[in-house]
Amino acid sequence: MIRGIIAIVILDLKRFWMERTRLIAGLIQPLLYLFVLGAGIGGSSRMGGGDYRRFIFPGTMGLSLLFTATFAAIGIVFDRQIGFFKAVLVAPVPRPAIAIGKIIAGALQALAQGMVLLPFAPLAGASLDVLQTFELIGAMALASFTFSTIGVAFACRFNSTTVFPIVSNAVLLPMFFLSGGLYPLRNAPYWMQVAAHFDPVAYAVDLMRGSVLGTFFFPVPLSLGALALTIALLIWAAVRVFNRGEDDSSLGASKFGFWRR
Amino acid sequence: MSAPAQSTVVAPAAVDVRALVKHYDKVEALRGVDLVVGQGEMFALLGPNGAGKTTLFSILATLRTPTSGSARVMGKDVVTERDAIRHQIGIVFQEPAIEQRMSCRDNLMLMGLLYGLSVAASRKRASDILAQLGIAELAERRAKELSGGQRRKLELARALVTDPRVLFLDEATLGLDVDARRIFWGHVRTLANAGRTVFFTTHYMEEAEVADRIALIDSGRIVAHGTPRELKARLGGGIVSLKTNDDARARAWLNEHGFVPEPGDRGIILVHADPAAILPEVLRNLPVRVERAEVHDPSLEDVFLKLTGRGLEGGNKP
Repeated sequence: MIRGIIAIVILDLKRFWMERTRLIAGLIQPLLYLFVLGAGIGGSSRMGGGDYRRFIFPGTMGLSLLFTATFAAIGIVFDRQIGFFKAVLVAPVPRPAIAIGKIIAGALQALAQGMVLLPFAPLAGASLDVLQTFELIGAMALASFTFSTIGVAFACRFNSTTVFPIVSNAVLLPMFFLSGGLYPLRNAPYWMQVAAHFDPVAYAVDLMRGSVLGTFFFPVPLSLGALALTIALLIWAAVRVFNRGEDDSSLGASKFGFWRR
Repeated sequence: MSAPAQSTVVAPAAVDVRALVKHYDKVEALRGVDLVVGQGEMFALLGPNGAGKTTLFSILATLRTPTSGSARVMGKDVVTERDAIRHQIGIVFQEPAIEQRMSCRDNLMLMGLLYGLSVAASRKRASDILAQLGIAELAERRAKELSGGQRRKLELARALVTDPRVLFLDEATLGLDVDARRIFWGHVRTLANAGRTVFFTTHYMEEAEVADRIALIDSGRIVAHGTPRELKARLGGGIVSLKTNDDARARAWLNEHGFVPEPGDRGIILVHADPAAILPEVLRNLPVRVERAEVHDPSLEDVFLKLTGRGLEGGNKP
């Protein structure tokens, strides 16, 4: 089991390392939010440009982690298409090991992307002391793990990459917009505040923001609990799909009917 | 000569399939297959595309489950003892199953890890296998930089990482040229001679000839099995094949005169105990112009044609 997980993680990290230039490309989107959207909206916001940038830095961090982790998860769909995964599937590796290996690998990739974005914190007006930095990295790690679990739980159900962008837009963007990444949830309409309580991204962003600004929207134990619950539920859901017996080569994706022989 | 002591433990067959049926939605891919392959045998499953080869293969490789009937590999059930089987088999798929961007060595090492070997053991095993297949110098090359034949060898190497008792190959040489195929099967033959069971599917009859035994599959059923020689002997004699300027008329004439041409539209084929003896008479009396006449020993293609009424290259993709 453990060696199986390690093998999957090594495989994915090796592939990630071959495309490490993606880390640079992955900076573009969060930096656009931070310095273009941030400057534009911040100029008209009561917070003022500098404070607003500092405010949305954890939000853009969340965005970056969310999309990196989800993109890593799409690897499952590609693997299935190129047939490489067949070789993995006939190895005597427990299915949960594959799911968990994928989740860990995705989390590490997201965290790596986050670490590349982290040095821009001072430029965004968020100068951090050592303790804050460690708090933030801890929150980033937890967020990465949560987002990777979300990505894998979705990706393992699909056999075609074409439906994935739809899922991205229908699920990921709403989760990000609801999270309060770009605005204070405190001032948002009531229904959005309620909805945010069901959005794991909101808790993750709030934890990161708290470690930068020192103030939290959700109580910290609630955030930690909500993220832990999300991770547990989605790992269970992903493992269930990976475990499905019939026509194993589909990794369970046949359920959605995209898959035919 | 005294009889050998009765052994209480009988070695299980490498592959033991009974009344195997597989449906996909409405398609019946396998309609009751029975098949036994002994340990150490090199066994070929020969049939046209869509005959059910890959389905049967996938079930034995633990990738699909039967609709009904049973399939055992090394005495283990493919459904209930799946993991035990996976420890004992190596598989080469039709499509590539290696990470193209990684080096050959890394590909093999990762497979070792997946099968529970340590990093050091995986590394050593990778080098050993690459050397054994004569591609040691390619160890650090990325898979995508290899030629078609080298890639297939890497697939074979991947399947061998864990020293499997049974090696499954599904159309393993698809798309390779004749030379690359010969080299590939040379390696496989060596593995079989060393006591490994090899089970492979193919629709190239000349590939099936290297097997110890062959099963012919058509429309989800095994239509014949035996050694290549046995199968050809089933035709009892030799083959006359004719090409004329009017096959329909030639056929009618042959039927009238007591010769029974095989059905099908791939020229005229006559199976006869003594083909050389009837050829002169046929040539002299046929009322059409004969463009080409041949007498030859039956090939597996002829056997297949005789049994199913169609050739191996045709067939219908599901």
